[in-house]
Amino acid sequence: MENKIFRINRISKSFGSENSDSKVEVIKEISMEILEKEFVVILGNSGCGKSTFLKILGGILPASSGNIEFNGKDYGQEIPRDVLKKFGFVFQNNNLLQWRTTEGNLRFMLEMMHLKGEQWTARIDEMLDIVGLKAYKKEYPHELSGGMRQRVGIARALVHNPDVLILDQPLGALDAITRKMLSYEILNIWKKTQKTVVMVTNNVDEALLLANRIFVLSPVLPTTISHEIQVNIPITARDENIYENQRFNELREMINDIVRSTI
Amino acid sequence: MNTTTAVQKKRKPESIGSGYLNILAPLIVLVILIAALEFFTRAFGISRFVLPPPTDIIAQTISNFPEIWPHFLFTLKIVAIGFMISVPLGMLIAALFSQYEILVKAISPVIIWLVITPMITLIPLIMLWLGTDPNLRVIVVIIQATPIITLNTLNGFTNIEGEKLELAKSVGASKRQTFIKIIFMNAMPQVFTGIKLGCIFSTIGAISADFVAGTVGLGSRIVQYTKYNSIELSYGCIIIIALIGICLFSIVELIEKRIVLWKN
Ligand SMILES: Nc1ncnc2c1ncn2[C@@H]1O[C@H](COP(=O)(O)OP(=O)(O)OP(=O)(O)O)[C@@H](O)[C@H]1O
Ligand SMILES: [Mg+2]
Repeated sequence: MENKIFRINRISKSFGSENSDSKVEVIKEISMEILEKEFVVILGNSGCGKSTFLKILGGILPASSGNIEFNGKDYGQEIPRDVLKKFGFVFQNNNLLQWRTTEGNLRFMLEMMHLKGEQWTARIDEMLDIVGLKAYKKEYPHELSGGMRQRVGIARALVHNPDVLILDQPLGALDAITRKMLSYEILNIWKKTQKTVVMVTNNVDEALLLANRIFVLSPVLPTTISHEIQVNIPITARDENIYENQRFNELREMINDIVRSTI
Repeated sequence: MNTTTAVQKKRKPESIGSGYLNILAPLIVLVILIAALEFFTRAFGISRFVLPPPTDIIAQTISNFPEIWPHFLFTLKIVAIGFMISVPLGMLIAALFSQYEILVKAISPVIIWLVITPMITLIPLIMLWLGTDPNLRVIVVIIQATPIITLNTLNGFTNIEGEKLELAKSVGASKRQTFIKIIFMNAMPQVFTGIKLGCIFSTIGAISADFVAGTVGLGSRIVQYTKYNSIELSYGCIIIIALIGICLFSIVELIEKRIVLWKN
């Protein structure tokens, strides 16, 4: 567990052209190291740059400055295309391809990454089983509920067996009950698949249930890491009864104080 | 602990009879319309030069059909060949231009200009350049139908959510993969809109060309029959032209329903 999979070094990001009025600085000098198989959660206010940070991490956007090391290799400001096979990205609002069925959306990943053969087809079923949607293989996204679509999005990000799972507020658009249920599901998936996970959320309880470490981003642009919190709640205590855990309640109090003080 | 819930699925049975209704309802309307026209033309003694009774149109068209047949075949050929060239051509042009944002900006006004210009205005000139071989009317059809197909397809290719392209980036897709698997598929409904408009424009193109020159084609028949006071046959040809357009349109729609199974 002590291997460092990511070493992010003073990443900054601004949008718009240099020296013009339209230039917006969104991220300023974020540095963090992520351990293999760690579950990292990023907490921050709406619009502070969480998605932007994840997109840089996931090779969707290049950073403006700084560098990213992944698996001991320095890739500079952008993770190159051929490395992205090792990543699975879950988007803020599912981002399923509406012209493909559930199964087809998972197959899309395999097609893009040229993964052919029996074992990958079998993996589609396996992943749909993990998210409880095996019976919905042939449905189109418009025939699924919001929670189901989000689960397809998660299964899609896992089907090519990546090392890193990046989740951008995967439960943000869901009602409270579905959200809670799915957060336990994510916990189970993490336990089962042993992936490195980086997840963005704006829900403190969710963060404490899942995270090994929580990074809180400052609310004013350009954002940077304002707090780093080690969540030392044993894995055995992380289930439906976590609300009775003393450490959980202490940490929750503390983070809520942090969040309140920044408003 | 296992919170993974396998949700039970219930399939809605397809409603039976809606298929019949879709065909039957317009047919009933058609019959009522014909009956009403028949009644009004006869009851109010409307001049046959304005509108002959529908039964006369049908009867005379059928009895003169051997004479109309070769013209029908010719027009059908021009429309069909022109259409079948316009569809891939229009899509290809859109695909090429969509690769470069500057080209899209530069070319869009030209395409709109071409769509709006009725090709009938250019036909005398085109005939002058190309000679009067009736088969060259295919070119008129192509010039008429291709721009509308390009316009709609190009719209589809360029109106794509940034998120879809981010998905492509997140999996390390190549430019080609992104175009085929995301941009093209995403544009499919608009591509079909373009093709369906292409059906209509092809028919318009072929008949316009008939009007201007030549002695073959259903368009030239209409001119001839009207000249010799065979108003019933003029109407008959108009109906046949409409049927060609409707058939083409319906075929495309049928294909669309088999391919575009999703909703946005
Ligand atoms: N492509 C872009 N061009 C210009 N500005 C952008 C772009 N993408 C994001 N921004 C700006 O960057 C800031 C952060 O956006 P981002 O989407 O990362 O926020 P977020 O923390 O994910 O918010 P939310 O919680 O609402 O999803 C916003 O002010 C946004 O306007
Ligand atoms: Mg966001």
